[in-house]
Amino acid sequence: MALQGVEQTILRDPALFYWIVFPITIVMILTGILRHYATILMNSPPKPASTLAESRERLGLIRGVNFRNNAYVLSKDSFEMRKNYLISAYHDGAFLKDPGNRGQPPANPMTDPAGMEAMMGMMKGNMMMMIPQTLIMSWINAFFSGFVILKLPFPLTIRFKSMLQSGVMTRDLDVRWVSSLSWYFLNLFGLQSVFGFILGSDNAANHMSQQMAGMNPAAGMNPFQPGQDPDKMYQNEAENLAVMEHFCILDGIEERILQNYGAREAY
Amino acid sequence: MAYDNPELQYEHSSNMITISRLSQQAPKILERYSLLGEDTSVVSILNLENAENFDVLEQLAFSCLQSGDDRSALVCIDRLAKRFGSSNDKVAALQGLHEEATAEDRPALEGCLHKYDTILSENPINLPILKRRIALLRSLSRPVEATTALVALLDAAPTDAETWCELADIYQTQGMGPQAIFSLEEALLIVPNAWNVHCRLGEVLYSCADSSDVGNACHLLRRSIQYFCRAIELCGDYLRGLYGLLMATSLLLKIRTGHQEDSLVTASLMTHDTLKNLNLFARKRLEEIVSRRSSDHHLWEHGQAELIATKELLSRFDSSSK
Repeated sequence: MALQGVEQTILRDPALFYWIVFPITIVMILTGILRHYATILMNSPPKPASTLAESRERLGLIRGVNFRNNAYVLSKDSFEMRKNYLISAYHDGAFLKDPGNRGQPPANPMTDPAGMEAMMGMMKGNMMMMIPQTLIMSWINAFFSGFVILKLPFPLTIRFKSMLQSGVMTRDLDVRWVSSLSWYFLNLFGLQSVFGFILGSDNAANHMSQQMAGMNPAAGMNPFQPGQDPDKMYQNEAENLAVMEHFCILDGIEERILQNYGAREAY
Repeated sequence: MAYDNPELQYEHSSNMITISRLSQQAPKILERYSLLGEDTSVVSILNLENAENFDVLEQLAFSCLQSGDDRSALVCIDRLAKRFGSSNDKVAALQGLHEEATAEDRPALEGCLHKYDTILSENPINLPILKRRIALLRSLSRPVEATTALVALLDAAPTDAETWCELADIYQTQGMGPQAIFSLEEALLIVPNAWNVHCRLGEVLYSCADSSDVGNACHLLRRSIQYFCRAIELCGDYLRGLYGLLMATSLLLKIRTGHQEDSLVTASLMTHDTLKNLNLFARKRLEEIVSRRSSDHHLWEHGQAELIATKELLSRFDSSSK
């Protein structure tokens, strides 16, 4: 155990600082920038629909979602009419690209060229994250493993040991010492704001944006992921519509207008 | 309301004065953006290649075409074509628009139509060209074909509010009120907060009410009033909405006083007081806007036609109430 109150001193070559801390930091920043531009170059825009039927299949679903969100602008009659129409169209598969294929299992995304392309896009994105990280980590492991390079100017509790001293297996070392491998991890997660400063806020070096992009369905105008059965999505949407309750924003609007504006007019 | 920044003016406006003023600035803007599309490598390094700059060029092309400055428009379009390639959907549509604008006679326009058909046979889902084709069909006064093409387009792309509005417009010019109402409602489902679409729907309902029997008219007028109210709720000083509200409430009041014993008419859910108050409110509001805008030169200039119409309406009401 480290003795309480006694300052641990480790004699370090000051060159260690210049030859490890700076290189790691600079390399991390440069790879981040490189990754940003590589992602931009390799990013293929989502493919637009190539036929009218395909476009109808995609947008038919979005139409239902729009209706569900904005139905409050309609009066009761027009609401019911549209609701019934959409539900029956969804049930009959009226918007499907080829209605003959209903009920069959969806095409294997591996054999479908369009699905293949979408999968490739996702894979490229993941690869752009993983390959540089693996490379740099093995580089650091090969050259700098086991170095203690920094001493933090403030004390920390023992819990931080695993965070700050990975790669250095000494139980008695004070937590304030930072190992080279840990410096890499700190950079990996702590450079977001630096990238934001250099590349702008929506840069591709940012992990978070990468993860969010996978979840945003509106991004490609294509609500269907590869391998997903549009018919199933339609049935779901039909159910959502069936349980909808209608309210109309136009109810009582005359009184509302008179109250909100008329009162001001009356002085 | 003085515009210091010329970019701010680039709202798409249907006002002729605004448009001609914008297009007069074409040389200045073209010079400023002369780097764009010249040498892409330098531009991208200097980070000048913002999407906004190209938006400005596109808008400028539109206003130049509208004001008859075809040469500047061509320069804009050429620059866009140099950057995005002339096979790009939007650029192709702009080029088509320019050709239509400079076409001298009917056969030339038919030629444009053929060109669009060839482009569409290669790529059937080229939206800008599809829209251009429909607009061209309309200007060739073939509304039936235009309607069929619009319906086919909407079948494939039902989430485009612009197309629904266009369809509504065609239907209304053909005198098919209920269809126009349906189309506008669809447009509203896509852009639920657009006060101009609300107002337009109110107008269509009003004109339908004008030409139907009394019981039906009351129902339609009530809906029309509701949509006008909603437009005003969304945009407080919306002149067109207030104008419509005044017209619709006056008409409904007139019908009601004429048919007081008819239960169909009086059972339209709105009390007489509310109606009167709304009428009064719209009128007061309009008077206020007219007096405010007439004194301010800038405001006066931009909505001249609307203001004149409003003034006339108000004076007509004044003379009838005396």
